[in-house]
Order: sequence, then structure tokens, then C-alpha cells
Amino acid sequence: MSNSPLQKQNKEIASETEPELKGTLIAVFAIGAFIVISWFIVFALFVAR
Amino acid sequence: MISAKTGLTKYDNKLVMAHMYVAFISLFIGGLMGLLQTLVRSGTLTLPFGIGYYQILTIHGVLLALVLTTFFIIGFQFALMNKTVGMTDKQRESAWFGYWIMLFGTTTTAITILLGKANVLYTFYAPLKAFPTFYIGLALVVIGSWIACFTNFRQLYVWKKKHKGEKSPLLAFMVVINMLLWFIATLGVAATVLLQFIPWSLGMVDTINVLLSRTLFWYFGHPLVYFWLLPAYMAWYAIIPKIIGGKIFSDSLARLAFILFLMFSIPVGFHHQLTEPGIDPMWKFIQVVLTFMVIIPSLLTAFSMFATFEVTGRKKGYTGLFGWLKGLPWKDVRFFAPMIGMLFFIPAGTGGIINASNQMNQVIHNTIWVTGHFHLTVGSTVILTFFGISYWLIPALTGRKLTAKINTLGIIQTIVWTVGMTIMSGSMHIAGLLGAPRRSSYSTYGGTEQASEWISYQIAQAVGGSILFIGIILMVYIFINMVWFAPKGVEEFPLAEVSEHAEPTPMFLENWKLWIGITIALILFAYTIPVIDIIQHAPPGSPPFDTLIQ
Repeated sequence: MSNSPLQKQNKEIASETEPELKGTLIAVFAIGAFIVISWFIVFALFVAR
Repeated sequence: MISAKTGLTKYDNKLVMAHMYVAFISLFIGGLMGLLQTLVRSGTLTLPFGIGYYQILTIHGVLLALVLTTFFIIGFQFALMNKTVGMTDKQRESAWFGYWIMLFGTTTTAITILLGKANVLYTFYAPLKAFPTFYIGLALVVIGSWIACFTNFRQLYVWKKKHKGEKSPLLAFMVVINMLLWFIATLGVAATVLLQFIPWSLGMVDTINVLLSRTLFWYFGHPLVYFWLLPAYMAWYAIIPKIIGGKIFSDSLARLAFILFLMFSIPVGFHHQLTEPGIDPMWKFIQVVLTFMVIIPSLLTAFSMFATFEVTGRKKGYTGLFGWLKGLPWKDVRFFAPMIGMLFFIPAGTGGIINASNQMNQVIHNTIWVTGHFHLTVGSTVILTFFGISYWLIPALTGRKLTAKINTLGIIQTIVWTVGMTIMSGSMHIAGLLGAPRRSSYSTYGGTEQASEWISYQIAQAVGGSILFIGIILMVYIFINMVWFAPKGVEEFPLAEVSEHAEPTPMFLENWKLWIGITIALILFAYTIPVIDIIQHAPPGSPPFDTLIQ
């Protein structure tokens, strides 16, 4: 069943007001990368010893 | 009379402030001991009047890690509970009763340490033995805190009865989770203190099962870290958004993160005992896996905080990938101090993951890296957030204003702390990787080459420690100002609202029986078999050693 015009309009409004979180995405990826890199540095130290 | 702006009565204010006085006195004395330690370890100071290094180390650990944190947290949580769900006169009486018991216990323990009868450090590992009043005092602190637990539980229960079918206020929910975590965790330390240490220190039994006592301690010791962290998270999730002019990103996400902390922060103590003989490696592996589950709510929190900042910044008209960072109130110390605390948590959490990884633990175990790690977690993340809370909570309770001058001084204090801690903790981390031991007084170790590599880092720790002590003096000055000298006025008690974009909170998040049931099941799974094994296959117990370290 296709959406009524009102439902379509509501969907559009919802997508318009959806907050933009690109910066958040990159920031949490950066934290993840920091954790992984630090972990491997100390792991390398363990292997080297 | 209830204040229109803070929603608290003068009786509430008095109760919370009583906790704050103990917390800030502990900060000053404990911090001074920390400074002395770093000076001794740099080889530049010999303690006068026969005072021992391990005596001041014990005072430092007990006052800062146990007394400051417990009193600040319980006081802050009473403020949150009284604000969101209210407190009856009867509940207030029981809160005061718990407070006096904790204070009596603290005083008893502190006197024992000051008399040099308890050089056992704050972990009080057997077979080091303290005078019995050290353990009895600690037991009283725990018992007093349990009274606070049950007062908080009762507060929410009474509110729920009056508000049938409603979800509980977010901060009240968080406080109850933290107190549940505390209650379940302290059962372990209470068991070892009451059943092992007190009879052994009184001479009623000759020996102690060392491994069992350490296992029960770490059953408590790791969730203790989360008992410190969760009040900081309360401020991050539900108070900071209001201070920055935004809203809580998601009520459900915040509650879920707290539930996950309750479930996964307790059955993980073995990651502190990875080098301990006598524990089956399989159970260590299982507890390490459970430890890594705690990363999930930590990253949920990181995401939630960044999202709150980005949404708020963009609403204020800031654009670009990271332009929203400019929209944050960097000149408001109520935001600045906790924000720096959050940033400290990135290396702190990373260090924690390294510590809990079996192979890496061999690299850093019992080195001063670990000391550097917990000075980033509790000594930076937690304490900077507690300072951030103090800037609005103390004046709100004392009926005074946070002045522009104190705000600026607070920002300077935060910067001083950041510089001091970066130097001190950074050099601890590096020296630890070079093998420098923790918990040890100054020594050249017979002039070995390896020990000579550490000394420059130990001097750096003394430099960092001295800067940190300046930070403590500034904070104590700010506290005194906010209590007695700031101009009279009304300071806001900031409580954020939930974003209009957030999904409604599902009621199952408040299914207490389910979450407590899973928590208990996980604890029983992780501990039952290894503890039976530790008791059944115990080597001969150890007699006490009470003059081993001076």
C-alpha cells in the first residue's frame, strides 16, 4: 500500500530534523583507532621482549 | 523551606555539605601525602620524625581512593535523589546515621595509620597485617555506606509507589544502579574483612588464606572503580547537556549503559590477578572476556557525549565537520573541568584495555604504569568531573554564587591539574614500560643499570606531583570561597531534559528483577568454581607479618 501524502510529508519532516552526527561518527572512530594502535604498540613490546 | 531554584531544603543542604567537608579535607591531606611520596621517590627528600614512606603511601591511598571518593559520591548522590525523588525526615535520619558510622570508621582507620600501625597500603594485601582497628574502621565505613544504599533504594521505592506506571527520573535510576553495584561489590570485601582479616589480626586464628583474601578483595576492587566512575557519568549524561544549553541525547541509551556497567563490572576481578598462581587460567580467560564487555557501555557513553555536543553546537548555528566544538562553553568551568576529565578518559580507558589483556599484563604488572593508569582514571577523569560538579553544587547548597573570578580560577586550576597530571602520569607510564616497580620507596637497587634508567622519570613525577599539589591548594581555596566567602545568591542546580529526537524509553529497562538476576547469575558463573577450587586446594595459610615494610 502506498503512503498517503500526509505520511510522506511526515517522513520528510522527520528526515529533515534528524540530527547530523558526522563529526560524532569520526570522533568515535578516532577513539577506536587510538585504542587499537596503543594496544598493538604494547603488544609489539611484549613480543619484542 | 524548599528553595525554588535548587529544589532542596536546608536540611538536604546540610546533609550533603557534611559529606563534602570530609571529602575536601581528605583531598588536602591525601594530596599532601602524594606530594611527599613523589619527592621521596625522586631521591631528594628523606622523611623527618621517623615517618615511614609506606605510612604516607597508605594514608594517600586510603584518604583519596576510599574516603574522598566515597564521601563525595554519597553526598552528591543524596543531592541528586533529594532533588529528583525527594527525601522524608525518616530517610534523612537514616542518611545521617550512615554518615556518622562512616565518619567514625574513617577516623578509626586514619588514626591507626597515623600511629604507624597499618603500613599495609590501601589494598591491605595479606600477609601484611595491620592493627585490628584498621580493619574494623574500614568495615564501619562499608556498613555506613550500606545504610546510604538502602536509604537511596527506599527513596526511589516510595517515589515509585506514588507514581505508578511512570518511569523513574533518570538520575534517580542511575544512583540506584550505582548503589546496587556498590552493595553487591562490597559483600566481597566485607566477607574478607569480617571473616578473614579481623579474626586473624586479633590472633583468634593463626593463619590466613592469602589467595582467597586477594580474590575477595578484587571481587570488590574492580567494581570500586565503576563506583567512582558512574557518578561522573551521571554528570556527563544528565547535567552537562543543561550546562552547554543542550539536551540529553537519549534517555534509553544512558539507562542501558548503566545496566551494562552493573552486569559487567563485577565478575571481572581476575584481570587484576592475571599473574596470580592458584587460579585456573580458563577462569582468568572467562573474566578477561567479561572485562572487555565493559568497553561497550564506555563507548556508548563516548558516542552519546559527542552526539550531545554536536547536536547542541549545530543548533547554535555552528557548521562544518567539527565546527560545533566552537559552540561549547569552554570558558564555563562547570563544563571545562568535566570535559577535560572526559578527554583524559580516552588514554585512561585505553590503558585499562592494555592492563586487562593477558599478554600485555605481563609487560606492565606491578610496574608504576599501573599507578599512572589509575591517576588518569580516578585521579583525572573522576576527580576533574567531581571538581566540575563542585563549582555549581557547593554554591547551590551554601546559598552563594559562583563568581566570575572563581570561574576563572577554576579554569586555571583545571589547566594546572592537566599539566601536572600529564607530566606525572606520563612519566609513570613510560617508567613502568621500562620496568620500574610500583609501591616502592626510593632505591638505587644496588646500583643496577636498569634502575638508573628510571631516576629521570621519578624526578619528572616529583615535578608533576608538585604542580598537582598547587592544583589541590587552588581547589581547596575555591571550596572555602564557595562555602564561606562568595556573595550570597542562588546558583542553578542544572538538570537536563531529554531531546525531542530521542525514542521513548522502554519500560523493560526498569525491570530491576531481570537486571539484578542477570548480574547475580554472571557473578555465580564467574566465581563459584574458582573460589571452591581456591578453598579446597589452598596451600598452608600464612601467619601475619606486621613489621615487614616500614
